[in-house]
Amino acid sequence: MSPSLKSSQLWDPLLSLAAVTLVVMSGLAMASAASTVNNTLALRHIAWTMVGMLLAVVIGRMNYRRWSGSVGIAYGMSLGALALVLLAGAVRLGATRWLSVLGMSVQPSEFAKLATAWLLARYLTGQSSPLPTPVVGWSLLLIGPPTLLIFIQPDLGSATVFLAIWLGMMLVAGISHRALMTCGGTAAVLAPIGWHLLKSYQRDRLLAFINPHADPLGAGFSIIQSTIAIGSGQLFGRGWFAGTQNQLSFLPERHSDFIFSVIGEEWGFFGCLLVVVMFGLLLSRILTIALHTSDPQGRLLAVGIFSWIGFQAVVNMGMVMGLLPVVGVPLPLISYGGSSMVIVWIALGLLQSIRRMELSD
Amino acid sequence: MNRIERLRILLILFLGLLTVRLLHLQILRGAFYRRLAEQNRLRLVPEQAPRGLIVDRQGRVLATNRTVFHLALIPQELEDLPFVLSHVSSVVHRPSEELQTQFQQERTLPFIPVTIVSNVPKDVALRLEEESWQLPGLLVKSETLRAYPLGSTAAHLLGYLSQPTAEELPLLKQYGVRARQLVGRMGLERLLDQALRGQDGGILVEVNHRGRSVRVLGRRAPQSGARVVLTIDAQLQSLIEQAFETQPGACVILDPHTGEVLAMVSSPSFQPEAFMTGDADTVHGYLTDSRTPLMNRATNGSYQPGSIMKLVTAGTALERQIITPATTIDCEGSITIGDRVFHCWNRDGHGPMVLRDALMQSCNVYFMTVARRLGLESLRTGMMRMGLARRTGWLLEEQAGTLPQHHVMPGMVAMLGIGQGEVLITVLQSAVMAAVFANGGWLVEPWVIRSVGARSLVPSRPRHRIGWSTETIDAVRQGMIAVVRDPYGTGHRAYSSLISIAGKTGTAQTPMPGRTHGWFVGFCPVEQPRIAMAILWEYGGSGGDLPAEIARTICEYVKVTDTLSTQPENRRLPLVHEIAAPAHP
Repeated sequence: MSPSLKSSQLWDPLLSLAAVTLVVMSGLAMASAASTVNNTLALRHIAWTMVGMLLAVVIGRMNYRRWSGSVGIAYGMSLGALALVLLAGAVRLGATRWLSVLGMSVQPSEFAKLATAWLLARYLTGQSSPLPTPVVGWSLLLIGPPTLLIFIQPDLGSATVFLAIWLGMMLVAGISHRALMTCGGTAAVLAPIGWHLLKSYQRDRLLAFINPHADPLGAGFSIIQSTIAIGSGQLFGRGWFAGTQNQLSFLPERHSDFIFSVIGEEWGFFGCLLVVVMFGLLLSRILTIALHTSDPQGRLLAVGIFSWIGFQAVVNMGMVMGLLPVVGVPLPLISYGGSSMVIVWIALGLLQSIRRMELSD
Repeated sequence: MNRIERLRILLILFLGLLTVRLLHLQILRGAFYRRLAEQNRLRLVPEQAPRGLIVDRQGRVLATNRTVFHLALIPQELEDLPFVLSHVSSVVHRPSEELQTQFQQERTLPFIPVTIVSNVPKDVALRLEEESWQLPGLLVKSETLRAYPLGSTAAHLLGYLSQPTAEELPLLKQYGVRARQLVGRMGLERLLDQALRGQDGGILVEVNHRGRSVRVLGRRAPQSGARVVLTIDAQLQSLIEQAFETQPGACVILDPHTGEVLAMVSSPSFQPEAFMTGDADTVHGYLTDSRTPLMNRATNGSYQPGSIMKLVTAGTALERQIITPATTIDCEGSITIGDRVFHCWNRDGHGPMVLRDALMQSCNVYFMTVARRLGLESLRTGMMRMGLARRTGWLLEEQAGTLPQHHVMPGMVAMLGIGQGEVLITVLQSAVMAAVFANGGWLVEPWVIRSVGARSLVPSRPRHRIGWSTETIDAVRQGMIAVVRDPYGTGHRAYSSLISIAGKTGTAQTPMPGRTHGWFVGFCPVEQPRIAMAILWEYGGSGGDLPAEIARTICEYVKVTDTLSTQPENRRLPLVHEIAAPAHP
């Protein structure tokens, strides 16, 4: 065994640093955010983080290529699970994104994101560049079902993640400018129909983004409160647990979608900048892994994971700061949510696997 | 790979944007936001949208809103609690200690107002509002409640409101309903709940340390609920309810040409406001009362029709040419079918009868004979043509009633012809049935909502022909006229010198021995019918008594007032030769 093999067993140091920093900050923020909601929340969050990290380490030691054959099945299963969610929602007469499995809440949309990205990566492997039109068409058909099933839940945010994954992977796989324009044009034409399909409160959220003060009680409320919370943190924040007494006690989703506001209020510019920089580091290292691997499938999968995590991070933080409409997308590695945490760690494990296979070849 | 590097550049770009925004919020404007956050200086003041009014055909208000005022204290804005409490207590005449206890028991988070006095009179509320600058921490809250100015009138149609249950709340939340808001249950309040509710608005204000509004940060204007106009005539409705007093029963008044419901009465009734004010004793009383005041007897009760069914039997038989208006049948007081003897109500017998007389005196023997000649199938067909055993198309809950199935004993067929046995109909159906004879052979679909907001709900094709000849209809009408006009008619109590009335009484035997339902169905005035009616006196006795009296009262009201003034073109009864197309386009 050459020495290089040993070093390849280790994780990319910068990626690991970024990921660990983010989860540590998450733990601190969660302790504060969850304290007024539910005492066991923070503990459960930490538990899921541990589970995720463990899975990541195990997966990192394996050869991801051995599983690429079963990705189709994983994709199919996730579609089935999404359909079940819709049925469960119909029975419960309300919006739902979760299934109850063995007493725990499982969110299939998270799993679907990874499965779809991998399947798309497999499909696009070996395709010539620029991508022929049928390939582009089939790729859309591939992301279509999960996107639609999630959109109907209704979960607008997660549905758009699939489009981001698709776009990122298409750009790297070599979509022609013309095809891209056509897709963009079609999307613009179909947008009014999509607008029509949105529920009234989803529309209200999007409208509130344009002018949050026009709807201070509904969707605008979260944006206004969250913006104030972040702003009030100023340079060094108001201190750990300070958010529970102040602005954010108004905010309903502080431990999940708006966790970044908690960091903003309690840790200030210093805390927020750290989060932004760490995400930058994490995502950049993912791109480096994509760059260095010679396996086209691995490269595309890495790009898919980059798009997924990157889109969610940017959109969540942007939303919380009032730059984007409220669309309910969790902040990876930080927001509360067992399914999201575990799946992201699994993805990081896969990236380690890709990196390891490359370095040891 | 060039493309991947492009993604990296994109990443840096987006993160850069986020950083710029952070700089703006936290560094540039940090002090401003800190100030806002520090003193918790934002207050959300919800502005409740007024619930839509429900009015009758003349615009008389049936359901409206009234404002009540409450006094509350906001803990974090209080500076001198004893002073505020003593001032308030002197104004509302309640001991200060009582208010203090209330405050301490109910307080939660510092910025949430705690109600200490509910339902203060308006002048008190206004006075305290003016003085509130001296009383930091005091908040005068207003709340709108549903009010039903006519009390229990049309209660079954209107319905009532109550708070949403824990199961309903998650679903309703997306539509703007919050936990303490009221949703419609039963009746029109429920059917039209979304339209009536409108959309709440509110103001987001920045306040100073005294709780005075410094700046309005945002506002959303509340949108009132839609105004609902009904076809009901509230005065007529009220009149009929009073005529029933506390007797159980129901009454439906329709416009025979359009199907508009002018009144729908179910007795006993209830006070919808009791459900809203949380008057638990009254509500419990309603729920456990053996007389079921909450049930709408006009649409949800199924009753033996008794002799009013003879109208249908007559019409069916004439159409099938089993009889003619001149056919004579001898009534000797009883009829033997198989091994059973059925008696006419006049045990000595009416003697030889033609149709007009048989209807006038409600001769059982005549109609039982006719029914036997018709046979079950024809009789059933005729009844179903008249809309029996079927829902009428009514928007709210209704029963369909029943008719016997296909194989019954001969005695049962005879009984069916006089409306006894396994047959049940609703009061609404019988009103529609009466309308057939009023309008010359059209089955109308009853409806009650004229408009919701700007949207008209007048049905475009409210009726269709039942296909009976005009001679048949006229022959039955002659009998109905005689029922009231002739001194020997069973419905003579309904006779009025002011207006001509036609009808049919019924005294239906029920499974409870000795107790009968009293019916009166009919229309008036005869020449140009403006209303068709059905009146039921549950277990009350004879149709010729109270129901006939009520019928007279109703018709005299119609004569005296201009009930249908909003629909002048519908007053004309189509003449025989004009029955070819509906009066409405």
